[in-house]
Amino acid sequence: MAEAHNIDSILIVDCGTVITKLLLLERVGDAYQFVAQAETQTTGKPPWNDLSIGVVQGVQELESITGRTLYARGRIAVPCTGQEGVDAFMVILSAVQPLRVVLAGLVREMSLESGRRAVRGTYATIEATLSREGNLRAPQETWARTIRDLMPDAVLLVGGVDGGARRPVLELAEAVALASSMLEEERRPTVIYAGNTALRSQVTKLLGDITHVVTTDNVRPTTDTEHLGPAQSALEELYTEERLRTAPGIEGLSAWSRLPLLPVATAFSHVVDFLWHREGNADRGVLGVDVGATTTTMAATFQGRSYVSVYEHGVANGLIDWVETHGLDRILRWIPTEMDEESLLAMLYNTELQPSTIPQTTQELWVELAVVREMLRATLSTAGPAWDIGEAAMQATNVMPRTDPILISGGGIVLSPRPGQSLLAILDGLQPVGISTLLLDSSRAVPAIGAVAAIKPLAAASALESGALVSLGTVISPVGQAKLGEIVMRMGITYDGGRALNVEAHYGEIEVWPLLDGQRATLEIHPGRRIDIGMGPGQGGKVEVLGGLVGLVVDARGRPLHLPSNPDRRRRTLNRWIWDVGG
Amino acid sequence: MIIQHCIANPLTTIRTPRRLSHPGTVLTRTGDSVEPSQIVAQAVMLPDFRIVDVAQELDVPLRSANSYFKVERGQAISEGDILASKGRFGSRVCQAPFTGKVAGVGRGRLLLQGEPQIVRLNALVPGYIVEAEPGEGVVIETVGGFIQALWGNGYEAHGVLRMLVREAAHPIRATLINASSQGSILIGGSTLDEGTIEHAKEMRVRGMIVGSVPAGLIPQLREAGFPVIATEGIGTTPMTQAIFDLLRSLDGREASISGDIGNRWHPMRPYIVIPMPTQVGRAIQTDAPLAIGERVRLLRGTYRGRSGTIQKKLAKRVQLETGARLPGAAVDIGEGELVRVPYVNLERLF
Repeated sequence: MAEAHNIDSILIVDCGTVITKLLLLERVGDAYQFVAQAETQTTGKPPWNDLSIGVVQGVQELESITGRTLYARGRIAVPCTGQEGVDAFMVILSAVQPLRVVLAGLVREMSLESGRRAVRGTYATIEATLSREGNLRAPQETWARTIRDLMPDAVLLVGGVDGGARRPVLELAEAVALASSMLEEERRPTVIYAGNTALRSQVTKLLGDITHVVTTDNVRPTTDTEHLGPAQSALEELYTEERLRTAPGIEGLSAWSRLPLLPVATAFSHVVDFLWHREGNADRGVLGVDVGATTTTMAATFQGRSYVSVYEHGVANGLIDWVETHGLDRILRWIPTEMDEESLLAMLYNTELQPSTIPQTTQELWVELAVVREMLRATLSTAGPAWDIGEAAMQATNVMPRTDPILISGGGIVLSPRPGQSLLAILDGLQPVGISTLLLDSSRAVPAIGAVAAIKPLAAASALESGALVSLGTVISPVGQAKLGEIVMRMGITYDGGRALNVEAHYGEIEVWPLLDGQRATLEIHPGRRIDIGMGPGQGGKVEVLGGLVGLVVDARGRPLHLPSNPDRRRRTLNRWIWDVGG
Repeated sequence: MIIQHCIANPLTTIRTPRRLSHPGTVLTRTGDSVEPSQIVAQAVMLPDFRIVDVAQELDVPLRSANSYFKVERGQAISEGDILASKGRFGSRVCQAPFTGKVAGVGRGRLLLQGEPQIVRLNALVPGYIVEAEPGEGVVIETVGGFIQALWGNGYEAHGVLRMLVREAAHPIRATLINASSQGSILIGGSTLDEGTIEHAKEMRVRGMIVGSVPAGLIPQLREAGFPVIATEGIGTTPMTQAIFDLLRSLDGREASISGDIGNRWHPMRPYIVIPMPTQVGRAIQTDAPLAIGERVRLLRGTYRGRSGTIQKKLAKRVQLETGARLPGAAVDIGEGELVRVPYVNLERLF
């Protein structure tokens, strides 16, 4: 690989579960820009079982677009020589099975909750949770049986604050040892111990001869502190070792690159972190959502601290499991047309059977966007509790903390035919509060930019500034109690160039005023006495906002959002909202 | 451009992998001829186990619990054997819950291990072993008809194909199944209902192939005890005409069917193998570029499940009802009807 300062061209391959994207980033003058992109079907599953087939196909498409040779002598040509090859080649991946983890710990609301959050920081699923809760007759036998039957990749063992409980943690460790000893050596789980640090040596002694043990800092060192980073890093390292490096066809791709494989979620969170530092607003966070076919990733940065959470369901794969747990009504309630449960269930099944297809009829699109809303809600409800948002970002209890901007990525949402459809799905799913700019990763380049940040931060920053993100608009979401139709805020809009407009927003409505992409305006906002737009109840002021593909939006539908329970009324309401945002 | 594909071919060379779920022993060798019911590999499953807390069950101190043991490590035990006891008359005893052995002793507890269970894997399809991976499984080569489906209920079977309907749009009704259906793999056009499944169970049919299955019946189908395969997936979509015609032409022949769909991370397609008494099958080139006149199936929208031929690869993007614009083709779905379909919603039929 060329030295970092000599890198002028980078080819990034983003292997998702359904689509593989290839992006060619090049230095153009002093800036870095994406000069070409291609996408193809991911070929990691049958009938192909080789990721490199899709990658080579995509590279050939890039070659035909750019007229350059990128693939020569059976490999990506690195480094660049003349008109052949690129200076760096990177692969980011989410197209592999998540780690299968069994979580073992003591108290549900304490160590187990922290352990759960640690697992959600990477591509991992919790196959079972082991604890003493539930009055088990023979707990160690039950725990050992669970591990033996599930044969997980890892056991995350947590429990006991530092210097706290000992015996119950060791009992869990004994059960893990028993289960592991019954499995063939290559099927024994890696044990990540992140509990009471005083027990590290005992746990290692108990398990070390049987299986691989990794000890990290306690995820819950005291009852009121949480320390997830080291356990999350250990899980991510294991994911990279056990999954990324063993993905079908990855050995070929890895041989073409000297750069490490990176999980897509990690790459995505780098960009969210970058945006927080760029914006420099300590009183609010930055949020990113990546709605994929198989997983939904939520990355957030508050007060300079980064959080990433991967939810094990997306818009295609895992839908039926999700419905079995959460019910069909949760999806049905967002569909603006009449649809019976049987037809909806059939459509969800078929989407799961053929995840690479896309909605062809309007009804199919409504179903997909309904799924997006629920994936966002579910991911937020699992990710949110881990955020230490600080007082400033908190607007009111039971609502989302203030975040600006909100970055939207992933084929599940950015491919909606109309920008208003994406915007409304985000507003319904996340229900943001205060003032937020919604940035759409329309070319689905953000994970690639995050990967580039790991080797050449300036190139990543430059690519981000050069039009990779498209603004959907600025959304003002007032919070507070009011009657339907009551004026919740008055607003003066002064556009660049001096033209002015005075408008009102009514409770229960979503209203859009023109503010084009790239256009700026100054707003003078006067909320009602009990209404908060992020400046405190009844407090208004002047703010400068950015336009977008939809415009300037006031979402005065209230928080949390309530849908009418009568199906006819609900559908009429949904259709009105769709109409209002041009969806 | 990579487009999904589905094989629905009357005469081709089929390679059927048969893999053990756990490492085991392969019982056949490369070149061996196998029959559907022949065992090709077997594995020993992890035995049952139990921790018997003698100290707790006999209510004796942990320190002295070992002195009550009547068995020792490594000793074979039968169900009901006394493992530990306290007192002579009206005594408390611990009995073996199953036949096996004492695998461990310590801290007042006994670790018991049951007898190993053997899982056997049959060939399912007739043919020749062309690959034998020690400990894992085999690949069997067969020449004949091969049809891939979209959904299956997990079961497998071998039997004689019996076409029960005249049209691809006709469902299998319970009244069509009778005593002569016993041991057969029944073929219907569109779908089936609850009564049909129950009646098929009573008549001991070997399997069923339909266009689609209703979503609400899936839990029942998973417990059916025989394979049910849907070529079009879930719902009421009739069987693709090309597949229906092919199955009709194979009526009365022996077939092997697998309804295994794997899981979300390792998906598999259910399939039907119809062996033919010939040595040569047509090779299928799945990586050749999409050609005019090629057979395709439509996967989404109003025309879901219809098959047709590529009439033109469109230079301009196809505009969908949703407003999306994507690269696609014009497909002739018969009777002069042309529809424009994005490539992502097409499947090539080989």
